[in-house]
Amino acid sequence: MRGAPVGEVRVFADYADDVSEQADVVVVGSGPCGAVAAKELACAGRRVILLEEGPPFTPPDFELDGGLSMTRTMREGGLRFTRGTPLATMQAIGLGGGSLVNSAICARAPDFVLEGWCREAGLEHTTRSDLDPHYDALEKELGIGPTPENVLGARNLLFARACDALGWSSEPMPRNVRGCRGSGECFTGCRTRAKQSMDLAMVPTALRAGARVLTSVQVREVLHERGRVVGVAGRAVAPFSGRPGPAVRVRARAVVLAAGCMATPVLLRRSGELANGSGQLGENLQFHPGVAVTGVFPDPLEPTFGATQGYQSLQFVREGFKLETLWAPPGVLAVRTPGFGHTLKQRLLEMGHSATWDAIVSCTRSRGSVRPRRRGLDPLLSWRFHPEDVATAERALHVLARMFFAAGAHKIVPGVHGLPDELTSPEAVERLGRPLRASDLTWASTHAFGTARMHGDPGQGVVDELGRAHDAEGLWIVDTGIFPRSPGVNPMFTGMALARRAARALAEQL
Amino acid sequence: MLGWMLVTGLLAAVVVRTRVGYPRPPRPTVRLTAPEAAFLAGAADATFPPGGALEPSGTEAGVVEYVDRWLDALPRRNRSLIRALLFLMEHATLVFPAPGLDGWRRFSVLRPEQQVAVLRGWARSRLPLRRLAFTSLRAVLAMAYLGSPAVLRRLGLAPLAIESPIHEADTLYPRVGASRDTIRWRAEDVTRGAAPPPVDPRGPLHPDYAEPRP
Repeated sequence: MRGAPVGEVRVFADYADDVSEQADVVVVGSGPCGAVAAKELACAGRRVILLEEGPPFTPPDFELDGGLSMTRTMREGGLRFTRGTPLATMQAIGLGGGSLVNSAICARAPDFVLEGWCREAGLEHTTRSDLDPHYDALEKELGIGPTPENVLGARNLLFARACDALGWSSEPMPRNVRGCRGSGECFTGCRTRAKQSMDLAMVPTALRAGARVLTSVQVREVLHERGRVVGVAGRAVAPFSGRPGPAVRVRARAVVLAAGCMATPVLLRRSGELANGSGQLGENLQFHPGVAVTGVFPDPLEPTFGATQGYQSLQFVREGFKLETLWAPPGVLAVRTPGFGHTLKQRLLEMGHSATWDAIVSCTRSRGSVRPRRRGLDPLLSWRFHPEDVATAERALHVLARMFFAAGAHKIVPGVHGLPDELTSPEAVERLGRPLRASDLTWASTHAFGTARMHGDPGQGVVDELGRAHDAEGLWIVDTGIFPRSPGVNPMFTGMALARRAARALAEQL
Repeated sequence: MLGWMLVTGLLAAVVVRTRVGYPRPPRPTVRLTAPEAAFLAGAADATFPPGGALEPSGTEAGVVEYVDRWLDALPRRNRSLIRALLFLMEHATLVFPAPGLDGWRRFSVLRPEQQVAVLRGWARSRLPLRRLAFTSLRAVLAMAYLGSPAVLRRLGLAPLAIESPIHEADTLYPRVGASRDTIRWRAEDVTRGAAPPPVDPRGPLHPDYAEPRP
């Protein structure tokens, strides 16, 4: 440990009376982007208050059952859906945000993505050479590196074998983990404390630098006076129940919003359409919908052992999808298992011989929006799957099916309406016939971006490329909402790199 | 007059169909009503019948109790949506009846083979929204069935006993809901040294999932 923390963490039990605080910067949201920003600002000597609506979790608080875990760690109990094309999506609630319950994937945005961002959004300083120093620094700080071989386990190694057999590139997943033990419990909270989630990594560092962390505080309004942002207001809320407690008000010279791509627009629109001169706030919602295929192998795989998502292939990233391994709590994985009665039970018995691999699809043509609901702060999401993106997802499905047979699976479970429940050969996959429709699959995505996009032209974006709001002085946005479009790979690392850059710029300005 | 009689008759039929004749759930519930518990019991056993290589049925595995606990933990709006789903599927046999002359009865009183046929109809429907409703129900049932420690043990997928090291963060945060003066750990308690070896997938199970002692 590098010195005792000098800042403080407050929890719901600490809020007996209304709270009124002052700081140089108030950061809203302790997920990967917000925690990085708070840590950078605190280390630069600024007085920082970090607000988080959820509580801190300790290992005894982790619920091992997938469904019950989501009711505690996800907004809306993990049951958030889009209108239009139904897509399940999630947003974590807890100190550390998504990093508490994600699989720690840290992938740099590919060159062609950053070039596209610069070209399409009129950005000048978001190139590979601009972001690499931030990626490099975060890599060191969070122990980001390839998943070690001794914790890959059979289901990850088979993925590598499949890619090798087909002549495709693949690599152990780069993750923010130190001393992974392969428990496969990333999604319910890492009991081995190996995952460098923000509550373990950035928040303690921020505290050592003097930051104050107020958990269980729901921000309901960004305060502004004469076009200048001056703080935030909200309420303490009890963990899990959301029971309101005392009022909380923080005045600050700058407000950094890292409430997430789905919450930041709602908060700003509830604050008098703040920062929406462009009309783009809450628009351009994009996701990475995933397709997943399960393969059944002759030998047992002991799938509970191994990094949750320990291998990836970037072979098809330019085509619009990235391939990964996947594990989740068994009750969550089993929701895809087709059939009834003893057939279904037999398939469940095969879970010990099964691996699930997925593809996240960039979906650069599909768009949606985030709107406030009439009541509350939960967003109203709309999103439509573009037919060309559906075609990309279909291609990904075929690729995954080929991989399983190349790795020695004797059957696959595609989980697609209109197809047989099981397919037993690659030829059967090629004969699938009719094109896939969006309604043939159940879609889900935890990656969301675009709703407060950065753009060089203030008329077309909400923030500039440093995250500064174009038309609200003192307001910065650093969550993945500022991405102009899909990063092509998992967004957390790029979000953190952009947040680090923004925080350093803000620290200089204050 | 005739109109009022028709309306009254219709209302009475709705009340009888949706409220009357449901058995009391075998165990007390926190959130589930008797009709909801009856529907879930029927759907759980149609999906996971008793016997076979994976022995417990849906109800034996505690699907109804799990869903009750899960509903209790959900935010109100999401809980209402799930309840609407259960209501819809219990009474949709009015529009999508089960096979047989008595196929219009509510789902929970259908024979098991009729219940399977109804669920299969939802799963394979041409209407995407109907399929979506089924997928949602199946997700709830599967999650609940695999919430059973006995089922997870049989599948070899039960969580392992893992001793968490003491992290610096454990000296900063109390357990959820507790106050900071309950934090047990101090800086000198923090675990140091090399990380332990990978977990042993055949090692002892987490106490909540271990075989009950006789």
